[in-house]
Amino acid sequence: MKNTTRLSISVLALCWLAFFSACEKDFPVEANIEPYEFVSLDATGGAWKPVLLSSAGQIAIPDAADVSSAAYQAELADLKTTSAQLTAEQQAAVRYWGSNPIVRWNEIARELTAKYNLTPAPNADGTYPAPNANDPGTYPKFPFAHPPYACRALAYWGAAQYDALIATWHYKYQYNRPAPYTTDASIQTHLPKNALPSYPSDGAVVAAVSKTVLSALFPLEKDFLAAKAAECQNAQRWAGLNVASDISAGDSLGRAVAAVFLARAGSDGMKSAQTPKPVSDSIRAAAEARWGWHWENLESPQRPVGITPFFGRVKPWCIPNVEAVRPGPPPAPGSAEFQTAAAELQRIADNLTTKQRAIANFWADGLGTYTPPGHWNRFASDLIVQYRLNPLRSARTLAYLNMAIMDAGISCWDAKYYYHYPRPSQAIPGFKTILGIPNFPSYTSGHSTFSAAAATVLGHIFPAEKAQCDAWAEEAAESRIYAGIHYRFDAAVGITQGKAVGQYALERAAADGGE
Amino acid sequence: MKKNYALLFFQTIALFTLSNVAAQTPTDALMMDKGQICFAATYTHDTWDHYWEGTLKRVNGNIGTLTRQTVMPMFALGIVNRVNVLVALPWVKTEASGGQVRGASGLQDWGLWVKAKALDFPAGPGNLSVHAVAGVTGPASNYLPDFMPFSLGLGCIDGSLRGILQYKLDKGPYARVHAGYHLRGHCTIERDYYYTTHGVYTNKVDMPNAVTYEAVLGTWLFKDKFKIEAFYNAMNSLGGYDIRRQDAGFPSNEMDMTRVGGGIQYYFPFVKGLGVLATGSYVLTGRNVGQSTAITGGITYQFGIWK
Repeated sequence: MKNTTRLSISVLALCWLAFFSACEKDFPVEANIEPYEFVSLDATGGAWKPVLLSSAGQIAIPDAADVSSAAYQAELADLKTTSAQLTAEQQAAVRYWGSNPIVRWNEIARELTAKYNLTPAPNADGTYPAPNANDPGTYPKFPFAHPPYACRALAYWGAAQYDALIATWHYKYQYNRPAPYTTDASIQTHLPKNALPSYPSDGAVVAAVSKTVLSALFPLEKDFLAAKAAECQNAQRWAGLNVASDISAGDSLGRAVAAVFLARAGSDGMKSAQTPKPVSDSIRAAAEARWGWHWENLESPQRPVGITPFFGRVKPWCIPNVEAVRPGPPPAPGSAEFQTAAAELQRIADNLTTKQRAIANFWADGLGTYTPPGHWNRFASDLIVQYRLNPLRSARTLAYLNMAIMDAGISCWDAKYYYHYPRPSQAIPGFKTILGIPNFPSYTSGHSTFSAAAATVLGHIFPAEKAQCDAWAEEAAESRIYAGIHYRFDAAVGITQGKAVGQYALERAAADGGE
Repeated sequence: MKKNYALLFFQTIALFTLSNVAAQTPTDALMMDKGQICFAATYTHDTWDHYWEGTLKRVNGNIGTLTRQTVMPMFALGIVNRVNVLVALPWVKTEASGGQVRGASGLQDWGLWVKAKALDFPAGPGNLSVHAVAGVTGPASNYLPDFMPFSLGLGCIDGSLRGILQYKLDKGPYARVHAGYHLRGHCTIERDYYYTTHGVYTNKVDMPNAVTYEAVLGTWLFKDKFKIEAFYNAMNSLGGYDIRRQDAGFPSNEMDMTRVGGGIQYYFPFVKGLGVLATGSYVLTGRNVGQSTAITGGITYQFGIWK
């Protein structure tokens, strides 16, 4: 071999190896959350008004043993030994769950949503199977975590956390059991200390609520969630924050509060939201009779029923009824106003910029993702960490955020099936999109309604972030126009509708004592 | 809310297809002499209506038939007799006959290869040769790799090393095998969370490495003016994820395939250096790829620029 040959091969091989060793890296599979000290403790939080519980003391817990009792001293001694000799795995768990496990549980709920957000594949004969809650493991697995399912899951999860933590704060300050490290300064801790009374353990409550609510909503994940909850509760001890009785009291309190919320979920109307085809057909016929138009699913084979035609009938949290926030009708297809909107879509599609494409994809939140409600929960979790909220304040944020988002979903779905408006791809001949088209009518835009409601709540709770939240909502709405999924009026009216829904959540929040 | 569009091919396909014609490619044993340049321009028409969702072979009414057209100019230059440099820049257009999603078009990936003849010696009634090829490809435009099955390419830097072993009889027939290893970087997508078998919090997607193999039988006829050959080749991703049931494809899917095909090339006797080529191929087995049928036609022109 000639020298030139040898040289060029070696140089190339070296460049090649250098390049790839430089860019091989592991990408994060979870949010990077540094454990933090709470900015405040909300010592009077036990007096706030719960969402469903009649009072903070509705669910009884065993009396806290006195710190001087033999039983407590034994727990303390056990804790001292445990937290003094953590394995690497235990240390990792403590760090993972951190000082405010609610944000981790939010991440888990979002992840389950992404995992289960897959639409059923057609059968060979062109029909479609449907998930069955009574047989969740058979394909198509239950649930199909589409946006209505996701927003409802997050609302029950968030609201249950809030009530459970109001009850927790109530008992914490009723029993006033000091943290173990306050009673015995020699106890080693692995997370920031705080002045919260320790009975019952807020971390244990959050784990128990999460496990119970999410297991009901994602039944195939029961074992996974039980293992996560056990680790989360153990981490409270490994970190030196709670003794065993703090945790067992928190666990039973969390499970009992979750049961109250699951009872509501069992009769909130969701069971009949995914209507059979004859009902779906009659909804469409009613729209055709009333408006002279109707939406059709354009998939091949055609899906017989859109996603949850009766989600608009599901019991809301903060709005009095759907009529209170139902927008007026959209412009008739073919009208001048419609033609203007259609021309805008075609113009955008023909001249899509790189930035518009990026916005459309960033907010796509379609199949296989955590959906728009999940996207806003991610923002909220990041803000909770950024503002170092305590667990109760975090739960309050996530409760109002997700109740508003679910109400937005209910309100939006009411409009979608009441107006039954065709998508741009149906009403504009030859029109094509850059994202897949969702299986429900166009008006109003779900992204816009969800996002405006979410931004209204988050902007209120984090006033310094209000402008950013509103800008996100506007961008989410705009993204659907760029993608060719929605007309501008779908998005604009959705924003107005979402804001109105969000205001109802704020009114309720204003009256709960936690402002 | 993205519908269910499955996955198609990756960018190396165009090059891979071309590898089976004689225009002097990263996978053949042809070399340009010092100062000689070969220009090739090819057009490839590739379609599929079945694809593998993981290992499940299926159709999808929302895709119908996916068509991918590729126009690729390519140069091979003899730096010295034993070392050639190759460059290519394909332009790709994708569209589906079903569904309402628009396809994509644009420049795909630039490619740069250095090919060296390591050994070439007489053995029995022919010659045995060994070539080594190192190459890099990378996105030549801002196409979106997270747009399966319409993505123009994988959107990542791909560095490859290949070894090519050929035995050619003096009378014309030849047999060739090659094996290649592809080291891939990451691609960048336009969302900062995605789910594979778990969530990932970044807009970067780590791409699985891959290996390729090929076996070719062919012969030169009519005083080396005409060539005909048949090939079998395979690609295997080393890692990656299956497309979930009724989910869309994703750049880091585990893309595997085997394929057969054949090609011809003809050099015109009266115009020195001018040739034409044609090739066809069909995917036999696959995983997270479409079952493509591809045909390619092209012209080649070879001329000297220095001595």
